Formats: sequence, C-alpha cells, structure tokens
Amino acid sequence: MSPRRTGPSRFRARTVVPAIGVPVAIALAILVPMQANASVDLPDKTPEELVAFAKAGDVDALSGTIEQRSELGLPDLGTLMGGGASGANDSEADAAASDTLGELVSLATGSFDANVYLDSDHARLQVLDRMAERNVYLSPGEAWFVDSETQTATRLGVADDADVEGLEAELDRLADEARAEAEAGLPDGEQLPTPQQLLDRALDRLDETTAVSVGTDGRVAGRDAYELVLEPRTDETLVGEIRVAIDGENGAALAASVTARGADAPAFETGFTDVSFAAPDPAVFAFEPSDAFAVEEEALPLPTVDELRQWIADAQARAESEADATADLPRPIVHGQGWATVVELDAATVAEMTAGHRAGGGDSADADGADSVAPATEPPFAEGEALDLLGALTTPVDGGRALQTSLMSVLFTDDGRVFAGSVPVDALVAYAESGR
Amino acid sequence: MSSAEASATVGALGAGDAAASEPPVPPAVRRLRRGGMASLFASETATLFRRWRTWAMLASLGLIPILIAIAIRIAGPSGPGRGPAFLDQVAGNGLFVGMTALVVATPLFLPLTIAVVSGDAIAGEASHGTLRYLLIAPAGRLRLLAVKYAVAAVFCLAAALTVIVVGTLIGWALFPIGPVTLLSGGQIPVGEGLLRLLAIGAYVAVSMLGLSAIGLLASTLTVVPVGAMAATAILAVVAQIVGAIPQLEWVHPFLFSDRWFDFDDLLRSPPSWESFGDNALLQAAWIAVFGGLAAWRFATRDILS
Repeated sequence: MSPRRTGPSRFRARTVVPAIGVPVAIALAILVPMQANASVDLPDKTPEELVAFAKAGDVDALSGTIEQRSELGLPDLGTLMGGGASGANDSEADAAASDTLGELVSLATGSFDANVYLDSDHARLQVLDRMAERNVYLSPGEAWFVDSETQTATRLGVADDADVEGLEAELDRLADEARAEAEAGLPDGEQLPTPQQLLDRALDRLDETTAVSVGTDGRVAGRDAYELVLEPRTDETLVGEIRVAIDGENGAALAASVTARGADAPAFETGFTDVSFAAPDPAVFAFEPSDAFAVEEEALPLPTVDELRQWIADAQARAESEADATADLPRPIVHGQGWATVVELDAATVAEMTAGHRAGGGDSADADGADSVAPATEPPFAEGEALDLLGALTTPVDGGRALQTSLMSVLFTDDGRVFAGSVPVDALVAYAESGR
Repeated sequence: MSSAEASATVGALGAGDAAASEPPVPPAVRRLRRGGMASLFASETATLFRRWRTWAMLASLGLIPILIAIAIRIAGPSGPGRGPAFLDQVAGNGLFVGMTALVVATPLFLPLTIAVVSGDAIAGEASHGTLRYLLIAPAGRLRLLAVKYAVAAVFCLAAALTVIVVGTLIGWALFPIGPVTLLSGGQIPVGEGLLRLLAIGAYVAVSMLGLSAIGLLASTLTVVPVGAMAATAILAVVAQIVGAIPQLEWVHPFLFSDRWFDFDDLLRSPPSWESFGDNALLQAAWIAVFGGLAAWRFATRDILS
C-alpha cells in the first residue's frame, strides 16, 4: 500500500476541495447580500415632512407579497370554534359563508402570507394558506370573498333596488352644505384650511399624546425606506411603540409593527416582503367562480335617501338632547384619555346588544329555511358553548373575568358591564370598582 | 480525467487488487469514456427497472390513488375541509385523484421508496460484492457515484409520475372529468389542468432530490444497504417532525422537507413558479453538500468488497 500513497492523497485533495468549498460558497452567497442591506441613507426629513411626504404619495397600482405576523397572546379562535362546529352540523359551508365578517376580522388580526394586487379601483388580497387559499376581490360595485377550504364564493353586492346614484347625490349635497356652513362661519377674508394646515393641526394634536420621531432608514422589500416611530407619552397603556416604514421614493407604507410595552419583538407586524409599483396584469382581478364552488349572495344594506335624511335628523336631535345632559341613550362611557382610553359598556347596553344579536341570528336562520330546501341552520354555537368559550379564553380577576392580550385587555364584570382598552387589566378593575 | 488520475482511482482499490497493475489508459479508450458513462447510466437504469423490488414499490405507490378513488366511489364524496387536501373535489372531478394521492404519499410513502433506492445505490453493490468489479471498469469512482445518483433521480421522477398517471387514469375511469377548479376559485380547461398536474409531478420529483443525496451519502458509509435505507427514511420523518415544531422555526428554511408541499402554488391563479425555483435551489444546496460529502467519503474509502 505504501508506495501508492501519493495517488489517494492527490485524489483526496481534489474531492475535499469541493466538499468544503461548496458549503462555503453557499454561505457566502447568503451572507453577501445581507451585508449589502446594511446601510441605507436617505435625505433627512423631520417627522412633519415625513408624514406630509407619505400623505402626498400617489401610489395607485402595486403588486407584492405581504407577510403578517400577529402574536397578540390570544388562543387560536379558529380551532376552538371549528372544533365545536364540525361535529355539530353537516351544513358547515352555510354556517361558514354566513360568517364572512368573522373571516374578514381573522384576516385583519391573524398571521398569514398574502399577495396583494392593486390597480386604481381594483384590488385583490390573495391569502396563501397551505393547500388552500382565501381571496378578497374588490372592484367597483361588487366584492367577492372566496374560501377554497369551504369551497364557497360570497358575493357582496349592492342590492338591486338600492338607489346608489341618489345616495351619492345626497352625500355630495350634504358635503357642499357642510363646506358652505363652515365657510360662512369663518371670519371675512379667511379661507378653509389647506390640507397641509389640517395635517399640521392633526400632528399638533397627536403630539400631545404621542412622541413622533423618525427612526433609522432601512430596507424593506428591497426598497430604501424611512421609518416613522410613534411612542405613547403615557406609561398607562400596553402599547410600547408603533413603527411604520415609508418608501423613500413614493411615500407608500411598506411595513408596520406594534410592539407591546417592555417587549422585544412586535406583537403585530405586517409588511411587504416583495413589492412592485407597476400595474399588475388585469387578469389577476378577474374572478369567475368555478362550478364546484357554492356561490352565496350577500347584499350590502344601503339606506335609501329618505332613511339617510331620517338618520341625520335623529343624530341632530340626539346631539341637542345631549346638550341638556338628560340623554338616557345607551352609549359607551369613556374613561381616561389618549392611549389609556378605556371604554365601558354598562349592563343594559350589553344586554341589549346580545339580545339584538340573537334576534338577528334567528332572522337569518328563518330566511335560510324559507328559500332553500336545507333544514334550518342552527346558530353557530349554542349559548352554553359560548359561555364555555368565554371561560376558556378569560381568567378570573376581582369582580369578574378578564381577557388579556399583549396589546389589549377586556374585563367582563360579574354585574354585566364590559370594559375594554389598551391598558393592563388592573386599570380596568380599578375603573370597574370606582364606578360601582 | 487524466490517465494518471485514473490509475490513482484504480490504485485506491488496494494493492492486492489485480486491476492495480493495469497500464495507463490509452487516449482511444479515454474518448470512449463519454459513451462509457452514458452506457453505464443506461445499464444501471435498466438494472433498476429490471428488479422486482422497483416494480413492487411503484405498484404500491400506484395503489394509493386506486384506494382513494375506490373508497370515494363506494363511500361517496367527503365534505369540504375534511381529510387530505383536494379529497372533497375528487367526486366532482377525477383529475383530483392524482393530486390527492400525491398529498397523501409525499410525507411517508414516497420518501420511503426514495430511501430504498438511494440507500441501496452503493451499499447494495458492496453487500453483493459487486462494487469492486464496477470500479474495475474504466469509469472512476466519482463517475460511478454520479451515475448512481442520476439513476436515483430517475426513480424520483418515475415514482411521482406513477402516482399522477395512475391517479389520472383511475379518476378518469370512475369519475367525471371536467374543468379543474383552482385554489383561487376559478377554473381552467382540462388540458391546462393536466399540464399543471405534470408540473406538480415534476415539483414532487425535484423535492425528493435532496433526500436522494442524503441516501447516497448514507449508502457510502456502510456495506449494509438496509442500514442506509432505514437511516434515510428516518431522517425524512425527523425533518418533517422538526418542521412541525414552531419553537424550531429558525431552522425550518434549511430543512430539505420545508417546501415539499408548496406545489399548491402551481394551483393558484395566477400560478406562481417562484416556489418551484426556491424548492429547486433548496434541493440543489442539499445535493451540493451531501453529494460533496458522499464524493469525499467514496473517493477516500477502501473498497473491500
């Protein structure tokens, strides 16, 4: 063997080099672009300039991929509710379709990856689930919510008999009236504030409660971006800071995150991982439901012109009666201010709202039974189940049960009141006790 | 490969080997080698598909869509959102049988067959005592390894296509065939649906290439083929378990099984080929690392059997 040693060792050199060299090359390929991201330096802007810049941004077409991550400290509601429903009834598709609003809420607060397409008045949100997909299509006059898991496509449209043009004309008229009134109220020679002045005033008001600053420039989705940092000036709130990344070129918001006080990582963050401001292919907005999908129609309840006038008259009457401080109308009571605002619903209001919800549920079940051969659908869950759910989500505290997430707390007192706010549970308990 | 290197290759077999005294290879033979590599590939592929074991594995893979189709045919359609993905669509459109079967086969059955083929690649020859004869032929160790890997890759494609083709045929026989409903809620014609089905087959075949490279390394480490097969199959399962643990999220992007199920992107509207590319890149990294390790191990080890 010994005379041949040179052979194998030379051979070894030729194979060891690729065996080690290839991983090193891969590591370099990953690390070098990360280094390139390190420094971004955009022209400096004050917070006021940055907000004005973002507001003036005129992005009306884009396509990109959004990553939303939410760790609010809430248990997964989907599994809790889905587990109960799947065993209960076979007409899951119906129940799920009628719960479109719930789906939209879960889209707003959940964690997901999605594609976003936008082109003037067409928009599409395509949520990429594993082996499934949820879509929201928006176009003038109609909207679709499509869920591949339940195989349903829900069309949200304006009812055929709704007088859209009349309503628009009425709204325009009201806006003109309001402007004329405002101008009449101004001293002579002065005009209505420009958008810039309005923005400045809003910022001034914001400044009372919130420290607005510009963070370090960074790169978001491969684009240079400014960072706007909002920090509440009070310690009483759970919110630590809000960061918004603003595109350095066109002022579009590229990312946003909310961090709880004292936390290292954001409780909620959403942002583009990839974005292009070119108009997307119009084909992505076209939606024709497949034969395999159950198509549901839901009309948006638009008021008629007369109803709108009636509402305005009611609202004005209520405002006047409030001036007398004799208002006995159910409305939320507000404690605290700014970031530490706490909203209280008294027992009567809560009871009224739940009663209204129950009645509404009954109505829709009747309607389903009337125009379809399917047996009348049960409400999504019975009262007992709802109580179990509440019990599972909340923890007992003095005088009630509380739901605590990293950014928000809700307190259900034993005497039926509900307190909610972006404050610790202790603060809610204190308000509940003082108000008794 | 130079002639000196070729003699080094042969030399690595050990001094006692009769082939070690072979004179340097003349240029004429060297020219033949390209053809030699192709013919080695052809003969190795033929050997693979001449084995009963290979056909038994392909048949068991083909059984998955058949079982699914017959079960749905007898028991009736399942409700949406229950069972494996696409199962609820099978009764309405037979083209979904192949897709459902792929979803069912990808976590375990497919990796199992891949582990058997790739784990057997070198260790099988060693256990039969045929490895040294393969190396006596003027092929070279690296070329033999490359050919063995290519044959394993052919099997990956054959396995994925078996599931898709058998699934499509049985679905065609038992269910109506019609426009394919995409995840986005729209439809595409049958022809385009079949093309996307083939693309998904290609995606799954590519997904298995990283695992094949791991099997190849395991195969060079032992002369007991069952050991290499078991180690590879266990790794496939372990990777998926790690992939399911949220606390280990930082390691997920590096797992070879991380993108096994991302072929759903081909069923969207518009179809996204990005995940196909990402998956290919991920598998290429695993092939580079584990193929490199296998090459290093195989080139430096003493072949005793």
